[in-house]
Amino acid sequence: MFKFSLVEFSIRRPKLVIWATVALTLLFLTQFPNIKTDTNPKNMLPENSDVRVWNNEVDKTFALYEDTIVVGVRNDDGVLNRETLGRIARITDEILKLEGVASRDVNGFTTITNVTAEDGTLKVGPLMPGAPHSQAEVEALRSALSGNPLLVDRVISKDGKTTAIYVPLEKGANGAVIAGNIREIVAGEKGPERYYVAGDPVARDTFGAEMFKLMGIFSPIAGMIMFIAIQLMFRNLSLSFTMMGVAMAAIIISIGSLIGTGYPVHIMSSMAPVFLMAIATDSIHIFNEFYFRYRERGDKLAAIRETMQAVSRPVRFTALATAAGFAVLLFMNIVPVQVFGGLIAFGTVVLRLFSFSLIPAILTFVKEEKIAKAAKGESVELDRTARFLHRVGGIGAGRPLATMLAGLVLVGIAIVGTTKIHVNNNMVAWFKPSSEIRIADTAMNQALGGTSLGYLVVQSGEPEFIKSPETMRWLEGLQRYLETLPVVGKTFSVADYVKRINRVLHDDDPKFDVVPDTQDTVGQYLFLFSMSAKPSDLDNVVDPGFQKANLWVQLKTWDAEAMRQVIQAADTYQKAHPLAVTVKPAGIAWFNLVWNDEVLGDLVLGLILALVVVFVILALDFRSAKWALVAYVPLLFTILLIYGVVGFVGKDFDMPLSVMSTLSLGMAVDFSIHFISRFRQHLAESGGATSEAAVREALLWTAARPGKGILRNALLFAAAFSVMLAAPLTPYMAVGAFIVSMMLLSALLTILYLPALVMLGRNWLFDQPKLAADTAPAIVKGD
Amino acid sequence: MKHWWIWLIAALLPLAFSGQAQALTGEEVMKKSQAAFLYPGKDFKARVVMKLINKDGQERVREMTMLRKNMGEAGGDQKYFMYFFRPTDVKDMTFMIHKYPARDDDRWMFIPAISMVKRIAAQDKRSSFVGSDFTYEDVSGRDIEDDDHIVEREGKVGDRDCYVVKSTPKGSDADFGHKITWVDKTSFLPLKEEQYDKKNTRYKQFSADEIAEVKGIPTVVRRTMKNLQTGHRTEVAYLKTDYNLGMEDSLFSERFLRQPPRKWVD
Repeated sequence: MFKFSLVEFSIRRPKLVIWATVALTLLFLTQFPNIKTDTNPKNMLPENSDVRVWNNEVDKTFALYEDTIVVGVRNDDGVLNRETLGRIARITDEILKLEGVASRDVNGFTTITNVTAEDGTLKVGPLMPGAPHSQAEVEALRSALSGNPLLVDRVISKDGKTTAIYVPLEKGANGAVIAGNIREIVAGEKGPERYYVAGDPVARDTFGAEMFKLMGIFSPIAGMIMFIAIQLMFRNLSLSFTMMGVAMAAIIISIGSLIGTGYPVHIMSSMAPVFLMAIATDSIHIFNEFYFRYRERGDKLAAIRETMQAVSRPVRFTALATAAGFAVLLFMNIVPVQVFGGLIAFGTVVLRLFSFSLIPAILTFVKEEKIAKAAKGESVELDRTARFLHRVGGIGAGRPLATMLAGLVLVGIAIVGTTKIHVNNNMVAWFKPSSEIRIADTAMNQALGGTSLGYLVVQSGEPEFIKSPETMRWLEGLQRYLETLPVVGKTFSVADYVKRINRVLHDDDPKFDVVPDTQDTVGQYLFLFSMSAKPSDLDNVVDPGFQKANLWVQLKTWDAEAMRQVIQAADTYQKAHPLAVTVKPAGIAWFNLVWNDEVLGDLVLGLILALVVVFVILALDFRSAKWALVAYVPLLFTILLIYGVVGFVGKDFDMPLSVMSTLSLGMAVDFSIHFISRFRQHLAESGGATSEAAVREALLWTAARPGKGILRNALLFAAAFSVMLAAPLTPYMAVGAFIVSMMLLSALLTILYLPALVMLGRNWLFDQPKLAADTAPAIVKGD
Repeated sequence: MKHWWIWLIAALLPLAFSGQAQALTGEEVMKKSQAAFLYPGKDFKARVVMKLINKDGQERVREMTMLRKNMGEAGGDQKYFMYFFRPTDVKDMTFMIHKYPARDDDRWMFIPAISMVKRIAAQDKRSSFVGSDFTYEDVSGRDIEDDDHIVEREGKVGDRDCYVVKSTPKGSDADFGHKITWVDKTSFLPLKEEQYDKKNTRYKQFSADEIAEVKGIPTVVRRTMKNLQTGHRTEVAYLKTDYNLGMEDSLFSERFLRQPPRKWVD
C-alpha cells in the first residue's frame, strides 16, 4: 500500500523528507506578502447572485451610492446653537474637500435640500447655506426643521440633540482613508459635541483589522497554548516541536496556496490557521500510540512501524471524514464558506500526508532515552487520566441502560431547546458592544431613523404612472402603514416631496400637507422642485420616466427579520389596497435577509450532506452500517446538546455557527472512528471472543488507552480554540465556544456512550462474530 | 526709395495690430465673450429643446420657448421669459427671471395646475437650471468681476484659434475651483469650457457643438454640458433662433406669466 511505503520511505530517508518539507513550506511562504482581505459583506454571495444583480440595478436606476459614511454629531444641550452649527458647517466644508467624497451629494445641514416659503417666496435649496450669524437665524433654522419630514430623523433627531452628515463615496474610493480623514477633521474641533463616524466602509475597515488581529495575534497564541499543552502531556520538547512544526507547515502551505491562487482572505478563512492547528492535533493519536508501543517494545523503529500500522486506518479515515466535512462546504451558496471549506479540506489532506511522512521521519530523530523517560507514565495501570477514562467507560459498559436513559432525557430537553433556535445574521452585532462601531450604531439608531437601509421599489408598466395622485396617495399610505412596525424608524418617498411642496406653496398651511388632486399638479410641483434641487434628490426616489418609485425604509435594527416584516407589511398593504404595481425589496437590508435565508438553507443542506457523507465514510471504514450507526450516536448527541444550549441561551444562530455545525460532524466523528476501530482491533487481537466479559474488557481497554488519545486530542483542540473566546469579534467568540464545548462533549460522550451502546447492542452487533473478526483487524495481520 | 519708411510701417502694421490683439487681458477676453455669447442683439428668441441624458442613455426632454431682452449694455441687466411645452404635464408653465449682475436675480414661476404665480428664491446661481447640467450661471452668465481671468495660452478647438482663459473665483463662495474657457479669437464665442472642482479635478465640460449665423450674429445653436463625475449630460438645441424682434418691456411681467401672448411663445 502506498501509505506503508510512504512511511517506510520516510523512516529510511528522514532527512530528505524533512528538508523537502522545509523547502516546500518556504516556497508557499513567499506568497504571503500578496495577501488580500475581503471584508465586504456583499461578497458573502457571488457577484452574479440575483440579489446583487438586482441591488446594482436599483443603485443605478436611482443614482444611489454603494458606500456612505455617516458622521453623527451629538450635543446633549441640543445642536441648534451658533457654536455647534458653526462647527457642523466647518466640518462639512472640510469633508467636501476630501478626495473620493462625492461632494455634490453630501447631505448635512449645509447641503441638504429643503423646501420652504419665506415672505411668499418659494425656496428650494440648502437648509443652512452657511453657519448662522445671529440667534434669529438659529431660530429660523429651528422652525424650518420642526416637523419637516424631509429633515426630521434624517439630519436632525426629534429631540434636536443629534444631527448627521451623510458622506457618499465615489466608486473605488478608499473608505478607510476617508473615515480617518473625517476623524481628524472632527478631532480638530473643540467643544462639548460628541462625534460618531459610522457606515459600511468604517465597519468593513474595522472588520479587516480585527481579522488580521485574529490571524496575526490570536493564531500564534493558540499555537503557544497548544505547544504548552503538548509539552505538559508528553514532557518532550522535540515531540512538541514536531507537532507544532507539522501544524505550521500545513498552515503555511494551505494559506500560501489560498493567497497564491488569488483568493482574498475572508472572515471564515481568517479562522483557518486555528482550525488547521486544531486538526493537526489528530496526530496526537500517533504519538499516543507510539508511546504505548515504545514502552512495550523498547525498539524505536519497530515501534514507529507498528504505530503507523495500528493507527493508519483510523487516522486515514478520520482525515477523510474531516476533509469530507469541510468539502461539503463547497456545495454551499455562500462564497467565503466555500473557500473556507476548500481551504481546510486541502489543509487536512496536507496534514495527513505529513502524518505518514514527516511525523515518522521526525520520530526517528527523537532520542531514545528521552522517549523512555516520557513514556514511563504511559501505562493504562499507572496513568491517572487512563484510570479516569477507564472508570468513565466503566459506567457506560457497566450500566448501559441507565446511561442510555439519562441520555434520552438530555436529548429530550435539547430538542426543546433547538425549537427555540433563532436564525439571524446581524452583522453589526458581530462587533462587541464596546466597539466604536456598535456605540456609533446604537447612538444613531436611538437618535435618528435607523442605520439599516432597505428599499421598496414600486414598479409600474406605464410611464408617468408614479405621478398620478392615486399612486402618490398609495405610496403615502404604504409609508404610514410601514411606520406602524416597531422596527421601522423612518420612511421616505417622492410623495413626501410632493406634499411638502403643496404645503409650502400654500403658505405653509398644514391643511395642504396632502397629495394634490391632479396629475398635472403633481408633475408641475416635481418640475418646480427639480428646477432648484440637486439632481440626486429626485433621482433617488423616482426613475427618469416616473415608472418606478423608490421608497426608503430606515430600520432600527440590522436583524435580518426586520426586512421580512417590512416585505410582509407591504404585501398586506397591497392586498388591502390593490394598485397596478409590483413591489420589490432592495438595499442592504434586503441583501442581509436573502443572505440570512441562504445561511439557513445552507445549514440544512450542509447538515444533511455531512450526515450522509460521514455515514458513508463510517460504513466504509467499519464495513458495517450497524457500527456506523453506533458511531453516529455520540456525534448526534453532542450536536443536539449544543443546539439545545444555543436555543436556550437565545444566541442568534448565524453564519459562523451554522458552518460550525456542519464541520463539527466531520471533526467530532473522529473520536468515534478511533474508538470503534481500536476497540474492534483489540477484540480481534485478543482472540475474537464476543462474550460479555470479553467485550467489556475490550471496551474498558479502549476507553483507557485510545481513549486517552481521544481526550488529549479534545483537550488540545479545546485549548487552541479557547483563545478565540477572547477574540474581538463575536463570531470568533461563538466559534471558539462552540468548538471547545463540542470537542470536550463529544470526547466524553464517545467514551461514555459507545461502551453503553456496544454493551446494549452486543447481540445485534456481533450476530455474525466471524465476519466482524475477519474484517476489522485486517490491517493488523501484517504484524 | 524716399518713402522706404512708409513701406516699413506698412510691413510692421499687422504686427502691431496682432500685438495689440495679443495684449488683450483675460478680463477683456471674457467681457467680449460674454457680450458675444449672452448679450447679442437687443432681444432674442429661440425654441429650446433640452435633452437630459443620464449615463445609461435614458432621456428626459425639456422643451420651451426662451425670450431674452437686454436692458442696457452687455454685462448689464437682462430679462428672461420661458414658456414650457414639455414635459407635457408642465405645458403652460412659465418662468421669468430678472437678472441683475451685482445682486440676486428675481424669479417667478407660474404653476397653471393651481393657477398660481410664485416668487422663487434665487439664493444660488450655481444651482441647476430646470434640472439640467447647466446652472443658471451657465445659461445667463456669471459676473465678470467675480473672478480673476488670465489668458493662459492660445490654443485651438477644431481648426479655430482660441484664447485659453483661466478664471478663478475671487471669493470662496463659488462651488468650483476654477474654469478654463476656450474663446474663439474671431467670434469671441466660448467653444469649450472645463470646470474644475475645489479638489482640482475636472468635473464639468461645456462644448459649443454647432455655430450658425443668425441675422449675421454668430450663435451657438447646439451645445452640450457634461458632468464628468456622474456621466450625466445635457444636450441643448436652439431652434428657430431670432434676434431684434422688438419685444416690449411689459412682456416680462407677472400678468403675462399667466397669459403669455401667443405670438411670442409659439
